Amino acid sequence: MMENNLDTARKILVCCGTGCLANKSMDIVKNLKAKIAGLGVDISVEPVVKATGCNGFCEKGPIVKILPDDISYYRVKPSDSDEIINKTIIEHELIERLLYYDARTGKRVKSQMENPFYNQQMKIALRNIGEIDPLEVNDYIERNGYSALRKALIMKPEVILAEVEKSGLRGRGGAGFPTGRKWKQCDNINNFPKYVICNGDEGDPGAFMDRSILEGDPHSIIEGMLICGYAIKASQGFVYIRNEYSLAVKTMLEAINHAEEKGFLGNDILGSGFDFTIQVVRGGGAFVCGESTALIASIEGRVGEPRAKYIRSVEKGLWGQPTVLNNVETWANIPVIVDKGGDWFSSIGTVKSKGTKVFSLVGKVKNTGLVEVPMGATLRELIFDIGEGILGNKKFKAVQTGGPSGGCIPSELLDLQVDFDSLESVDSMMGSGGMIVMDERTCMVDTARYYLNFLAEESCGKCVPCREGIKRMLEILTDICDGNGQEGDIDLLLDICSMVSEASLCGLGKSAPNPVLSTIKYFSDEYEEHISNKRCSAGVCKDLTNFFINAEDCVGCGLCKKNCAPEAIVGTPKETHTIDSSKCIKCGNCIDICKFNAVKVL
Amino acid sequence: MKIIIDGQECQAKYGEFIFEVAKRNNIKIPSLCHDEALPGQACCRICIVEVIGNKWSKVVTSCVYPITKEIEVLTNSEKIMNMRKMIIMLLDARTSESDPIKKLVKEYEVLPITRFISGDKEKCILCNLCVSACDILGTSAISTVNRGIMKKVATPYDEAAVSCIGCGACANVCPTGAIEVSEEDGKRIIWNKEFELIKCGRCGENLATREQMDYLDQKLDVKLKEYSDDFLCDDCKRRTRAEQLKGHNPYRCSII
Amino acid sequence: MVNMTDSDHDTSFDELLLNYPREQRFTLAILQDIQNKYNYLPKESLNVVAKYLEVPISRLFSMATFYKALSLKKKGQNIIKVCDGTACHIRSSATLIGEVKKVLGIKPGDITEDGVFSLETVSCLGACALSPVMVVNENYYGSVNAMKIREILSTYGGNTNDGE
Repeated sequence: MMENNLDTARKILVCCGTGCLANKSMDIVKNLKAKIAGLGVDISVEPVVKATGCNGFCEKGPIVKILPDDISYYRVKPSDSDEIINKTIIEHELIERLLYYDARTGKRVKSQMENPFYNQQMKIALRNIGEIDPLEVNDYIERNGYSALRKALIMKPEVILAEVEKSGLRGRGGAGFPTGRKWKQCDNINNFPKYVICNGDEGDPGAFMDRSILEGDPHSIIEGMLICGYAIKASQGFVYIRNEYSLAVKTMLEAINHAEEKGFLGNDILGSGFDFTIQVVRGGGAFVCGESTALIASIEGRVGEPRAKYIRSVEKGLWGQPTVLNNVETWANIPVIVDKGGDWFSSIGTVKSKGTKVFSLVGKVKNTGLVEVPMGATLRELIFDIGEGILGNKKFKAVQTGGPSGGCIPSELLDLQVDFDSLESVDSMMGSGGMIVMDERTCMVDTARYYLNFLAEESCGKCVPCREGIKRMLEILTDICDGNGQEGDIDLLLDICSMVSEASLCGLGKSAPNPVLSTIKYFSDEYEEHISNKRCSAGVCKDLTNFFINAEDCVGCGLCKKNCAPEAIVGTPKETHTIDSSKCIKCGNCIDICKFNAVKVL
Repeated sequence: MKIIIDGQECQAKYGEFIFEVAKRNNIKIPSLCHDEALPGQACCRICIVEVIGNKWSKVVTSCVYPITKEIEVLTNSEKIMNMRKMIIMLLDARTSESDPIKKLVKEYEVLPITRFISGDKEKCILCNLCVSACDILGTSAISTVNRGIMKKVATPYDEAAVSCIGCGACANVCPTGAIEVSEEDGKRIIWNKEFELIKCGRCGENLATREQMDYLDQKLDVKLKEYSDDFLCDDCKRRTRAEQLKGHNPYRCSII
Repeated sequence: MVNMTDSDHDTSFDELLLNYPREQRFTLAILQDIQNKYNYLPKESLNVVAKYLEVPISRLFSMATFYKALSLKKKGQNIIKVCDGTACHIRSSATLIGEVKKVLGIKPGDITEDGVFSLETVSCLGACALSPVMVVNENYYGSVNAMKIREILSTYGGNTNDGE
């Protein structure tokens, strides 16, 4: 019985973020549309959000949501489209196998809010993602979009600045500098023109929240920048998007066009007399361009080399003019702050870190995706409640936060309430919000080496401490991972770290020692084992690893043998299997796959 | 305004850099990438000092840190000395045979380190002075290439650069003598490019490359060939000038 | 307008250049357009751009070697990017890189002899839930393992027998 309720047109939202796209979500869209056209029923199918995060739950994508029924289906295949139309749309029946299965209750749940991944989240920056088509500006407007701008245009600039300062919002890009204070400092400089920049050079490996917002809710950024431009009397904005995010570039360009068509950008915006335009600048593939002065150099048409920040960008930034530069997530928060007030925002979070933060929960965790929670949520809540714990049957070892500028946090500190200051107090940092979960199969020495290798390539190379310091730290760590670690290496590493962290020219260099310092602090036994015993207990450093199968645990299921690419495992069914070390390439497939934990490191 | 450097009171103007003030007061701060004509490189980091304020202290490079309030500066506290030594050690590991670096190693009693694989007769410390010099002249024949640990100074494609005039300003300004200039048989070779050297018309001394003269001619409004149909070195210019003056005063004798 | 009277002037890049005003700040964008069209930055293109924007060639060369989106050598017809971001790294992206090396005989930064494939590592594609991730041209492949690589690469043609 088909309800012909014209007031609530049903919508089918299909996530088309990169993750779901890779799993053929576009085909789902096509099939659904075709089926509907064939049936002649009156439903609109909207491909949503081209965001990786979409609803953030990319591990379980493609995700299809049906409104207003509030049904969420996961791991949908294009072949499911017919059933979705026939059963759910027409017959109003649920397709059980596509519903989310909550392992803790043993039940399947219908709606997103019954799903433990979502119901502990509080979405401010991600408020629209997964709910709108980013290329449809009316969707954004329907959900209160551009109402903050309308409000701001009749407020006094000083009042806007005061609200942002009252909110306690701190930069979401990494440094956590108070946003309101930054805007005020820029406003105080009597030098025009002024510029507004959005830093979309999200380079931390493992972080994709900015991508999600750029692709999924570009207007929230545009609106935020407009409000700032109005408050500090700037008339030009730039959105700098890293080269690897081509979809984000396309989406942002289209969104800007739509905003111009609607009169939100251009001259005499909404009759206020305020002019503002935004240009998109595409990055060239350089992590260092996420550093604000390097980003500015890049916009100016030069190599992305930072400059000493003794004179801040709010005073002399782009082309030597006063500039406000903020991160994507920071901008996305602004319209809500202006709309609901600074007091409301500062009622969320902790004493010194207000509001929410989007984390990208990735790595060896069951529920991988984007998670937005109030500041002050604990690591345990994030990893074990929302993330539902470690993949497979492995144990938690550490969580890495802050990307290459951050540190690794061990299990003793899982009850840490996450905010800017608490993370710094444990020798890590917030960074952009990347949260990489590691298990016993992650080698902490290799992790430090990995980050230094990354930084060695991404450093601009201008100053001695960063360039030479990282080079030599990498040399030492590579030696250690290759089995050539020497007595005194750890002390030497620490000495180099303490110089690099203070004498480097920019933030990249200054924070480069962090992965080394934090792993030495919390996992020194692993370093000792690599250097003195030439052994890697995680089984990662190939020269220091030998796998063997423990006879007591092996049941002879043969799963390892089946998945051994060099065919190094022999054994008959139900008998203990063995590894031929002369053929073993130490890929670790066997130890990862064994359900009985029978594969061990010698 | 007044600042204190190593316990010594110094006068400073608002916005002046610590390095300048120190120099003026005979307080020596070491540096490698600092050059008065090409200031602001701030990349060797050897000139670091500690700035102490009210309840805070930070490490800054004195060559570009502007004085905006009354501060106390320490140029060789234990912290700074340790960092400076580490920087010198790393530069020594990079260059292995550079005299200016070896000099610093000795002066700061940096312990020799054998743990690292040393630079293969590398002399360049990437101070960027050569690139700056070439840019200021307007030729921009060289630039920094690559990034991170692969960074180096080179001409495009490591080939002879069209805009290189062989003036040698880059080699002149280099603190470690890393740029090779060879002169033989009336030719100068630098950055893989060969230049014909113009000699002084009177004494035959090597003056400059032809390209350099052409460039000056093109860019500036100076008479390069004054007093003579030839190019002359400074000494010979003086001599020629004196002779010509003498020629104008036939009545005076014994004029030198 | 680009100087049309210069008889040495290579006109093949004009179309791209004329999309932009002659301002230094468009340098990177222009170079990227050329890169996207020709799959690398031909030497002649640097000369032309230098003249158009009135910037020294050394600056363009500096930028071409600084930014990873630009290359002075041709890339393959099919560009393989293996993600070595942290999430992918701890899910064994290094093994993938090794496997591509075995199958095609090239390491990151190289191009196969027949020019069909080139290999790069990327630091993070933002698709961490699918780790380890591999992209060929604009096509994303998630949860890749050593076994799947041969399969994926064979759909792009070229010589996928074991290289040296």
